[in-house]
Amino acid sequence: MNRKRRAVFSGVACILGLMLAVQFQTTNNPVTRDTRDTWELRADLEKEKQRQQDLNDEINKYQALLDNYEQSRKKEKIEAMQQALDDLKEEAGLTEVSGQGIVITIEPFNEGEMPKVYPELIRRLINELNRYDAKDISVDGQRIITTTPIREVNGETYINNQPISSFPIEIKVLSDDAQKLQNKIIASESAEDFVRENLYIDSKPENQLTLPAYDKPIRVKYMKQAKEEL
Amino acid sequence: MWLPVLALIIGLVLGFLSEIRIPLEYSNYLSIAVLAALDTLFGGIRAHLQGNFEDKVFISGFFFNILLAAALAYLGVHLGIDLYLAAIFAFGVRLFNNIAVIRRLVISKWSESRKKS
Repeated sequence: MNRKRRAVFSGVACILGLMLAVQFQTTNNPVTRDTRDTWELRADLEKEKQRQQDLNDEINKYQALLDNYEQSRKKEKIEAMQQALDDLKEEAGLTEVSGQGIVITIEPFNEGEMPKVYPELIRRLINELNRYDAKDISVDGQRIITTTPIREVNGETYINNQPISSFPIEIKVLSDDAQKLQNKIIASESAEDFVRENLYIDSKPENQLTLPAYDKPIRVKYMKQAKEEL
Repeated sequence: MWLPVLALIIGLVLGFLSEIRIPLEYSNYLSIAVLAALDTLFGGIRAHLQGNFEDKVFISGFFFNILLAAALAYLGVHLGIDLYLAAIFAFGVRLFNNIAVIRRLVISKWSESRKKS
């Protein structure tokens, strides 16, 4: 087969292929001629418009539903986190708490020379209170939290870096069973210690006590933020 | 021998990609034209195998057959006679003839080459 003949055959084959393809397409999905008149067209247009309207309505409906879902999910998450945060704050002592409990007042045992309230005394008392299931404690208007420092500075006792005021010093303790706590305090070692230091502690139960919040920033020295989980 | 086949495939692809569609009323003409083109192609192959192929005859036959078939169908539509059936018949018979001749030629060539070897 020489070159010219090959070219001729190829050209004819190409045209034949084109014709075949067109024929295939025509028979598979033929072009239907639009024979509608103006009125029919108008009616059809109206119908299609109505359909579009319906579809738009449907889209809007589902969009609203989707928004609703998303919002409620977000809200739920935020609420849960808020709740957890509030719980943690309460536990850490950053909120005011109230409930039943006892009020312990520390006063000089004898008139005359003013005794000193050593931090060791208060610390022991607090430890003892905690041992007796005290929930929240505040000393002289200072909320006792986990990291509250009670120490002596220049001969004065400081709680939360605030010097304690003059007598009487009030210690408020919240407890589920105030009466029991009071009884325990009366018979406690601390009470004797206080007496030894020429101090007298008196306690009385209260039905409604309000403890102030810890109002200073909590400094976190050794904790680090955990790596965020992905 | 591969070039025409390739050209046929290219033509098919082009036709499908271009998405040309003719109105249904004219698809009859196109089908007859396709038949005429097929007939001419096979006639050309036969002539080539028999050794009496001529370019001019082939090309003119291709276009002339297509046009004639379409014109016959057109005339038939206007006369109220299914004249395109005549074209289909004629081309169909010739197509079968041509293919039969091609088959015989190919077979004889093949057996000859086998005898030689």
